[in-house]
Parts: sequence; structure tokens; C-alpha cells
Amino acid sequence: MKIMVCLKQVPHQDARLDINGDGTWIQEDNIKFEINSYDTYALEEALLIKDAGEAEVLVVSIGPDRVTQALRTALGMGADRAIHVNDPEIQGSDSLGMAKVLAAVAKEENPDLILAGLMSEDANYAAVPPMLAELVGIPHTTAAVKVERSNGTLTCDREIEGGANEVVTLEAPCLVAVQSGLNQVRYASLKGIMAAKKKPLDVKTAADLGVADQVGAGAAKVSVTQIAPPPKGDTAELVEGSPDEIAAKLVTKIKELGLL
Amino acid sequence: MSTILIVTEIQNGALREASYELAAIAQKLDGASVKSVVIGQGVDALAAEFASKGGGEVFVADDPALAHYSVEAHGTAIRAAVEASGADLVLLSNTPSGWDVAPRIAAALDAAFVSDCFDITLDGGKPVCRRRVFNGKLNATLATSADKVVATVQPGATAAFEGSTDGSVSKLDVAIDAGGLKARFVEIKQSAATGVDLTKAEVIVSGGRGVGDPEKFSEVIKPLADALGGAMGASRPVVDAGWLPHEYQVGSSGQTVQPKLYIACGISGAIQHLVGMKSSNFIIAVNKDPDAPIFEIADLGVVGDLFEVIPALTKAITAAKG
Ligand SMILES: Cc1cc2nc3c(=O)[nH]c(=O)nc-3n(C[C@H](O)[C@H](O)[C@H](O)COP(=O)(O)OP(=O)(O)OC[C@H]3O[C@@H](n4cnc5c(N)ncnc54)[C@H](O)[C@@H]3O)c2cc1C
Ligand SMILES: Nc1ncnc2c1ncn2[C@@H]1O[C@H](COP(=O)(O)O)[C@@H](O)[C@H]1O
Repeated sequence: MKIMVCLKQVPHQDARLDINGDGTWIQEDNIKFEINSYDTYALEEALLIKDAGEAEVLVVSIGPDRVTQALRTALGMGADRAIHVNDPEIQGSDSLGMAKVLAAVAKEENPDLILAGLMSEDANYAAVPPMLAELVGIPHTTAAVKVERSNGTLTCDREIEGGANEVVTLEAPCLVAVQSGLNQVRYASLKGIMAAKKKPLDVKTAADLGVADQVGAGAAKVSVTQIAPPPKGDTAELVEGSPDEIAAKLVTKIKELGLL
Repeated sequence: MSTILIVTEIQNGALREASYELAAIAQKLDGASVKSVVIGQGVDALAAEFASKGGGEVFVADDPALAHYSVEAHGTAIRAAVEASGADLVLLSNTPSGWDVAPRIAAALDAAFVSDCFDITLDGGKPVCRRRVFNGKLNATLATSADKVVATVQPGATAAFEGSTDGSVSKLDVAIDAGGLKARFVEIKQSAATGVDLTKAEVIVSGGRGVGDPEKFSEVIKPLADALGGAMGASRPVVDAGWLPHEYQVGSSGQTVQPKLYIACGISGAIQHLVGMKSSNFIIAVNKDPDAPIFEIADLGVVGDLFEVIPALTKAITAAKG
């Protein structure tokens, strides 16, 4: 079986968020990047399936040169092959544009299962995976916290509100966008990282995939026009001083609340 | 924008509050005609109710295959309603079913899609959406340029529509091939009752990813909770990492709590955490990042290192108790 995992590289969770020159996104130069945390769970799930039997794990990422690092990490963790869609023309694409690129890859590769993250930690769109499933013409589910396979059917628990799960079955080929926490993500071993250097990493452009006219700012139906810190409403009253002074002030408040 | 279609949602046999929030957004957009779709089994009465409370011209998609949410069956019904209504703006709530089906509908319609908006306005007739990015640390404004726009709206971001309106109800023909579905609903599994019931605690001291590792929970967070006679809570990454079991999780996919005092330590304040604790009577936040969104809802804030502040506080409380 073949599993395609969609990986996005995003700013590191502790990266400084400075706004860029034209005020439409963050300053991405000179900050650290990492694999979107939700996608690490998707990759781990693919590797667990591979460990349990025969599977080829293909990781796919769209993004600039820096994305090579994310794909090498994924190969080091145990993925077999990587496709890096690296094309400046894709910049400015909306979620649908990204989904069209991934759909073109999926149509060439014909995976039995596509795994993705529930959402990206930077944009928080949670849009690409269901779009990709629609464009490929396969069933999907989102926020999966458990994935089980038997024959051509996947049974997934998807997280809904109030601590409950909804159980759904999907006929393969299908797409599952995973919620965080569904497994414990492995680290790349030194041996894995060495082996990864010999694994194939193909670089493609939108034109290679036949979607050049469907990507980029020109084709995008949605664009970010402004990004800004949320307006400060009536925010918390700040307590300042040394730790002991702060503690004393908090104790006074907790006494006022009648809790001491 | 000429026509808006509200995709309502049913929960426990009633229309969700979030559907009335969509009605409030639709009703305030100038010059738009408002239509809606109510999807389920045996839902005529709900449709009539929605028609009189902001839903406008309401379509009913009634079929046994629609009794539970299923991405294909509901997707078919929504697309039929988009067609019948001629809508150019389709609104759904950003709920587990909304976020599952909405992007799929947008792709099928080759429409613009914006998720989890807290505000939608019109600029030259085109929807302009505002939403959070970077887990609430920044706000983004997004412009749309397409004949059709699909958007999901964050539940609780807008007050629900409370007026009464003249509406109508009509039946929508949807042909669902129940046997041909490739994604099927099986059942809802309620989480088993667990030992820790945070909803009864008077004081909750919660730790987030900023606590750093499981040992620090027992060394720093637990002693403060104990000193206050309260319970310990956590944000999701703490539970995902296996530092604490799921029953400690506060938020949209954990417990909803309302203690007299909630102390958030090393928690940034993503919306999914806030919805689980924002109704607490008094909130104290300790975070080293002065721009952390948690300070927006806290009553008292400490910008600082939790590993300095929390042990000092635990000591002071123990001393105060004598
Ligand atoms: C469908 C869905 C459901 C979700 N459900 C939930 C849920 O139920 N509950 C939940 O919590 N989340 C939930 N999330 C996840 C949510 O989006 C956030 O990712 C999560 O709440 C972030 O947790 P955090 O604040 O602990 O971590 P982060 O956002 O990483 O924040 C860590 C904070 O710690 C601070 N910090 C670091 N070191 C220190 C220090 N030494 N002293 C003081 N401060 C420090 C940092 O400044 C930062 O603000 C859900 C997400 C989705 C998509
Ligand atoms: N540039 C990208 N390259 C590969 N996969 C992506 C990309 N963008 C989004 N995805 C996938 O889609 C998921 C949701 O992303 P989003 O819809 O942008 O929030 C991510 O977790 C990835 O699995």
C-alpha cells in the first residue's frame, strides 16, 4: 500500500512573530522553522502502518528551499520518498491553490491513503485536506484521534465536542486529517538521518504538475490584506515586582476572593 | 452579495446557538437576501422555528441518511441548497461538522473559502473576513474575490440573532444514495466517566506547554493546587505529550470549567483553551510573553517566569494559612 503524507513547514512555535514590511504576514527571514505539529502526528501514523506491514510512505511538501530540511527530517524518521514542490510562482496561492497542487501530486501517485494534519499552526486554516479529498474524489474525515485498518476500510474515531468521539468508516482510497495526540511521535535516529541522505527527494514545479495556471496570487480567490496584533481590550491588570512581592499581592487578592 | 445561505446545525434535537449567530451576521449584511437550510430527519418544526427567527427562506433537507452528520450526505444536501438558493455567500459554523464539510463544498464550487471568521463585512459587495492566526496571537483580514464565497464562523464570536422575522419553509429535494456512501457514520462514543471532575473544583491551577516537562507539573503546579485546596488542570499539548491524562484537559475538546479561581501558568490562550475556562469567576495568568492572548481574558496578569512566580506564590499561600 502507498501512503502520501502532506507536510507543511511552519515557523517554530516559539519563533518571534514580527510583522513583515507590507503588513500582510510575519517576517519569515531569520526565524526557525519546523514541521507543523499536526503533520508530525500524520507522519507517525503512516510510519506505524509501515511498521505493521508493507507500506511505502511518500512525504509531500509545498514551499521554498528551506522545506528541504523538513523533508529530510521526515525521511530520517522513516519515510521512503519525498516530493518537494518548490516554485516561486506558487507564492500567494490560497488554500484551494495549495490543494490543487497536492491533488496533482496525488493523481500522479495514486496513494491508497492520504494523511494530513488537521490544521497548520501558522495560518490555522484547516482547509487544505478536505479540499484535496474533494479534488481527488475520495472520502475523508478530519480530527481523527484513532485510525484502524481492515481490508479496504478505515475506521476512524474523530473528535467532536464535549469529549465525545464520532466513529466513521472510510472506503479506501481516502484521506484522513489527524488531530494532535493520536500517537507518540518518534524522533529521527542518527542512523535514520544517515540513511535519509540516500533516499529520493524529487523537486517539482507547478508546471511539472500541470497546474501552473491554477496557482499563485493571480489565481487566488482569497488573500490576506492585513495582519496585526489583536486590539488590546480591557486586558488583565498587571501585577509587578519581585516574585515575592507578586506573590504577596496575589495572596491579598486570593484572600479577598474568600479562598484563603 | 445578493444571497446568503445559512447552513444550520442540529445538536441534541435543537438548532445550535451558533446557527442563530450566523443569522445575526447574515441579517446585518446590507441588502442581502437571507436563505437557510435545515438538514436532518424529521426537522420541519425546527425549520419553521428558524424561518421566524432570522433564517429567511428556509429549505428543509429531510432524509433518514441525514439523521447524523456524514460528510457526503450532508455535503450533497448543502450543495443542493446552494443551487436552489442561488447563494453567493454560504455560511457554516466552525464546529466539528462545519470544518469537516465546508472546505469540501468550497472546492466543489471552486469558491473562495475562509475558515473560522469572527467577523464578516462587505467591501464593494465582496465579503471581507477577519479571523485569528498563529493560535490567536495575531488577527488577519482576508479579502475575497470570487463569484461564490464559503465561510465558517467561530461559534460564540457574535451575539445570536434574537429578533423575529417573516420567513418561509420549503422542501428541498435531495437524492442521497445511502448505499453508495464511501464515508459512513457508525456511532458516537461518549468518553467514559473518569476520576477527575474538574467541573466541581473551586480552584484550578492549570499548566500549559510552557511548564516544559511532566516533572515540573509535580514540582511546581501540583504544590500550588494543593496549597489552595484545588485541582490541577492542563492545556491540550500537555495531554498530547502524555504528561497528564486526558481528564485534566480544559478546553473545547476537554472539560468546561467555571471555578472561583483559575490560575493559568504557561498557557498562551488559544481560543480552544479559552472556551473551556473563560467563565471562571476570577482568572490569574502567568506568562513570560506580554502579548500572550491569555492576558485578554485574565483579571490579573503576571508577565514573568512561572518557575519564579509560582513557587513564591505557593510559599506565600502556605505561610498565609499559618
Ligand atoms: C479542534 C481543536 C481542539 C482543541 N482543543 C483544545 C482543548 O480542549 N484545550 C486546549 O488547551 N487546547 C486545545 N486545542 C489546541 C489549541 O489550539 C492550542 O494549541 C493549545 O491550547 C496551546 O496550548 P498552550 O497554551 O499550553 O501552548 P502554547 O500555545 O505553546 O503556549 C505556551 C505558553 O507558555 C509560555 N511560557 C513558556 N515558558 C514559560 C515560562 N517559563 N514561564 C511563563 N510562561 C512561559 C509561552 O510564552 C506561551 O505563551 C485544540 C485545537 C484544535 C484545532
Ligand atoms: N504547503 C503545504 N505543503 C504540504 N501540505 C500542506 C501544505 N499546506 C497545508 N498542508 C496540509 O494541510 C494541512 C492543513 O493545513 P491548512 O489548511 O493550511 O491549515 C496541514 O496540516 C498539511 O497536512
